[in-house]
Amino acid sequence: MEQELNQLRLEAVAELSQAASLEALNDLRVKFLGKKGSLTSALRGLGGLSPEERPRIGQIVNEIRADLESLLEARQDELKQAALSQRLALEKIDVTLPGRRAGIGHIHPLTLTLNRIKSVFMRMGFTVAEGPEVETDYYNFEALNLPPDHPARDMQDSFYITGDILLRTHTSPVQVRTMQAAKPNSPIRIIAPGKVYRRDYDATHSPVFTQVEGLVIDKGISFADLKGTLELFAQEIFGNNVKLRFRPSFFPFTEPSAEVDISCVMCGGKGCRTCSGTGWLEILGSGMVHPRVLEMSNYDPEVVSGFAFGMGVERVAMLVYGIDDLRLFYDNDLRFLAQF
Amino acid sequence: MRASIKWLKDYVEFSQTPEELADMLTMAGVAVDSVEYLGQGIEKVVTGRIVEISSHPNADRLHVCKVDAGDAGVITVVTGADNVERNNVVPVALVGSKLPNGLEIQPTDLRGVASQGMLCSTEELNLDNKIVPPEAREGIYILPDDTAVGIDIRMALGLDDVVLEFELTPNRADCFSVIGLAREVAVLTGGTLKKPMLSLREDGDGSASSLAQVVIEEPSLCPRFAARILKEVKVGPSPVWLQQRIQAAGMRPINNVVDVTNFVMLEMGQPMHAYDYNLLSRHRIIVRRANLGERLTSLDGVKRDLTTDMLVIADEVQAVGVAGVMGGLATEVTAQTQNVFLEAASFNGASIRRTSRALGLRSEASGRFERGVDTVNIIRALDRAAKLLADMGACKVCPGIIDNYPIVQLPKQVVVSPEKLNRYLGVDIPQVRMVEILRNLEFEVDIKSEGLQVTVPTWRGDVTTGADISEEIARIHGYDNILATTPLGKVVRGEESYVQTLADKAKNILSGLGFSEIMTFSFTHPSVFYKLNIPENDQLRIAVPVMNPITDDFPLLRTTLLGGLLQTVVNNLARKNDDLAIYELGTIYRPASLPVESLPTETMMLSGALSGKRYPQVWNQSRDMTDFYDAKGMVEVLLEKLGVTGYQVVAGEYLAMHPGKTALFMKDDKLIAAVGEAHPKVLDAFGLNRAVCLFEIAVAELEKQAALIGRYQPLPRFPAVSRDLAVVLPVTVPAGEATQAIAASGGELLSNIRLFDVYTGEPVPAGFRSLAFALTFQATDRTLTDEEIDGCHQTILNYLEKTLSAKLRM
Repeated sequence: MEQELNQLRLEAVAELSQAASLEALNDLRVKFLGKKGSLTSALRGLGGLSPEERPRIGQIVNEIRADLESLLEARQDELKQAALSQRLALEKIDVTLPGRRAGIGHIHPLTLTLNRIKSVFMRMGFTVAEGPEVETDYYNFEALNLPPDHPARDMQDSFYITGDILLRTHTSPVQVRTMQAAKPNSPIRIIAPGKVYRRDYDATHSPVFTQVEGLVIDKGISFADLKGTLELFAQEIFGNNVKLRFRPSFFPFTEPSAEVDISCVMCGGKGCRTCSGTGWLEILGSGMVHPRVLEMSNYDPEVVSGFAFGMGVERVAMLVYGIDDLRLFYDNDLRFLAQF
Repeated sequence: MRASIKWLKDYVEFSQTPEELADMLTMAGVAVDSVEYLGQGIEKVVTGRIVEISSHPNADRLHVCKVDAGDAGVITVVTGADNVERNNVVPVALVGSKLPNGLEIQPTDLRGVASQGMLCSTEELNLDNKIVPPEAREGIYILPDDTAVGIDIRMALGLDDVVLEFELTPNRADCFSVIGLAREVAVLTGGTLKKPMLSLREDGDGSASSLAQVVIEEPSLCPRFAARILKEVKVGPSPVWLQQRIQAAGMRPINNVVDVTNFVMLEMGQPMHAYDYNLLSRHRIIVRRANLGERLTSLDGVKRDLTTDMLVIADEVQAVGVAGVMGGLATEVTAQTQNVFLEAASFNGASIRRTSRALGLRSEASGRFERGVDTVNIIRALDRAAKLLADMGACKVCPGIIDNYPIVQLPKQVVVSPEKLNRYLGVDIPQVRMVEILRNLEFEVDIKSEGLQVTVPTWRGDVTTGADISEEIARIHGYDNILATTPLGKVVRGEESYVQTLADKAKNILSGLGFSEIMTFSFTHPSVFYKLNIPENDQLRIAVPVMNPITDDFPLLRTTLLGGLLQTVVNNLARKNDDLAIYELGTIYRPASLPVESLPTETMMLSGALSGKRYPQVWNQSRDMTDFYDAKGMVEVLLEKLGVTGYQVVAGEYLAMHPGKTALFMKDDKLIAAVGEAHPKVLDAFGLNRAVCLFEIAVAELEKQAALIGRYQPLPRFPAVSRDLAVVLPVTVPAGEATQAIAASGGELLSNIRLFDVYTGEPVPAGFRSLAFALTFQATDRTLTDEEIDGCHQTILNYLEKTLSAKLRM
């Protein structure tokens, strides 16, 4: 009996380890371990054994069953693994073929840049104000301390609609409108983004371009505050390492006035083609609001002071993205737009 | 304004390099645009005297010169120029010399004669034609006979100098003079400003006042007019040093009298004019407005038509100059001139500006008058010019000055409080330092109990308020020395308007839908109206005209975005950008009436165009072209994401769109959006041979209808049931109507209607079509039974049969 059982074990082990498919394995399970299987029959044959032998042989049978079951399981795992591997191999595709892409659109770089600028200033508590693009001479010039025949009007060659109506040359009229709509001497903190127009059309001038101006008026506002505000702005847009340089300048609507340069974003200030070797790039004009501008809009320069600044969004976008041709912004070539 | 370092050093000593000085000045608000090294690129070029000249033995057009080149000895130079003679002093490029054009001179053999150098023209020395006398522009540059021989040409021509080119702001009229700039240099470098001595010997025959008379008829346009009379004038070339000064400043030497007036203008900022005294009728000058129809030939030889708002300088008979702009040719100083009437005056800046613009004539003088000259300085300038000419032996100065000074310029006073000034700047500059800065700038300062009483020098017309004084302090103190702070005050909330937020959200949604944002100019042309098929009498043809358009293409402000949009489609197709989904969010301008009398209405529009393949062309994507329904679907999604609901879509007509392929999105009788294929005529007019779909949305309506933050809908707790319903309807019944009928009859259990199939053809009879809807039924409080759903389904079908003669499709 014992010998038969050992024979059966050897036979089963040999067959199980050679089973080539899950089906074949299942057949072997039935053959050896099934209700009518060899081992089951052997177990039934225990009844004919002596009570002394019965436990011993029974133990052998159980051992064999346990062995075969674990063998079966192992072989089953092997076969499953092989089947899976085969399936995976069959299902292999060329993953280097291009993916199916959703045609995502692109927001214009000027919008992206303007939105960044807006968000920087909104976090500093500035409200976004807007005004008309077609303006009166009064709002565009006179109320900004630019009387008729002022030489500084040459700095801004204008598009006229009538003698008194023109396309705004800057978004500063929004400052005037904001002051005049406010209660005299009440605090103001706005930025005014928008399209502006100047009669200049060449490689470095567009007759239509985008400006953001800012105005802060309150009691005790100082030139140092202007510097601090613009430094925060420049660091947010151009990175923490950017340096600022304030140069005295002239604008009719501010006094003192300053042009603001940032350290060149291309060379870090060492001097390169972008900055014409100076290490600096001019990005905005600014200054303390001229007392006459305050007066003309019913603010009392003895009570409040303020600062104002203005920048070209195209200029900022060109520096941020490294764009070298202003005309690309209004050319609307999708090969350009799709890069943003 | 150009000023050379050497000239500046005539008035102030400093040790800074030109670059350092440029930086200091720039950082003090006197911006230096560039630093130009004159004579750059010229090496080993010397002055040489031609001691012998002969024809080349083997070449008709060449000459062989023996040139005394000083230390280099007498050398042989072959030249092709015909304008040299024996004894001429000329620039000689020796062997081994370099010229600005990159040429290096080598010994050469020219047809059998060894040449040891080259004679140079002004062009080869890179001299600007603007500063070179006309006769020196051709051939070899012949220098004055008394020029020393063998010296470096850069020294001989004053090219051993560095010029600062200033980009001055319009307020700093005082810096349009070398003395004004030297004052800034002195303050910044700690130097002392030395002004020229003006002691003058007046030994001319007869007093000025007896020799000429001046009448100012328009004192408001001419606050001061002063003159000196110079006799026994010897017109000739001015001394080399003076020529070189004005050449470095960018002006051309003409003759000693004219050069001196230019020199003094550059030096002191006071434009001057010299008239031939003998040619002034009755020696009587009248400053008046031009007469009607009066004409004048200006110094540049151009006949000028004058108008009555222009100020002229006239004698008894005629205008002899346009005041402050340009003198007249008739009374010009020439070689024959014996006596000179020398003018120094002050004119109203605005008037000069208008006149010079009207005449299209801008001069060094007009630029200075526009900004304003220092009226007090006029006499000094007159004395300076007279003294220069007298000192060079070119004239005798008649005693006295004719001085008409109807509007006396008094120095302005400003009182400033140092504390307030510190607060304004956000600095802590001691009062003594403020006083020092102001006094260095030649402001007089009296320290009073109420603050500093500052008397502004007359040349600083730009300084009138405390703020101006603060700028003077700040720019000399150094803007960079002001520490940055941020504004104090209570915390304020930054915000943007609803329409700005809406616009941003719309742009983000459109990006997701594959649309790219474009920005076009706000200008348009009448031909665009024609191309867009806008009817002749349509409101959209009424556009705001621009008086001075930048080009002939842009005479109007746009009344629609569709023109720019379609042009952008055209431009992109030309660049092989074939698949386009673009939009612009921009303003259109509509005048209340024409001619324009008030500000036009500015309306924001959102317009888009779609053309080309639906998907990028790759191996596994369909190559279908987009059509009307793509565009419509995108507008539907856009509106949905912006929270616009409850609108109706009807067939209609819209600008530039195909009348049979246009959908109007209406709500409360207001048009929210229009979507359509471009009209075939429009496509033709733009030269497009493919379908383009357009949409246009009125942002104002969007603003009213949008709900940017929608309310949450609870998720259903009970399952939904879906049923399909296919009905056969006449093709004339719009699907929208069938959908509305289903919605109207479906009751509250009907939660969604989706049209999933449209079928025509067998077995559906001709003139009919089958529309198949997937209907979703849903209750919030229970699972629906088949009976309930059957009931709803039947109700819907009955309603469709009754209202639209629909038949259930079996």
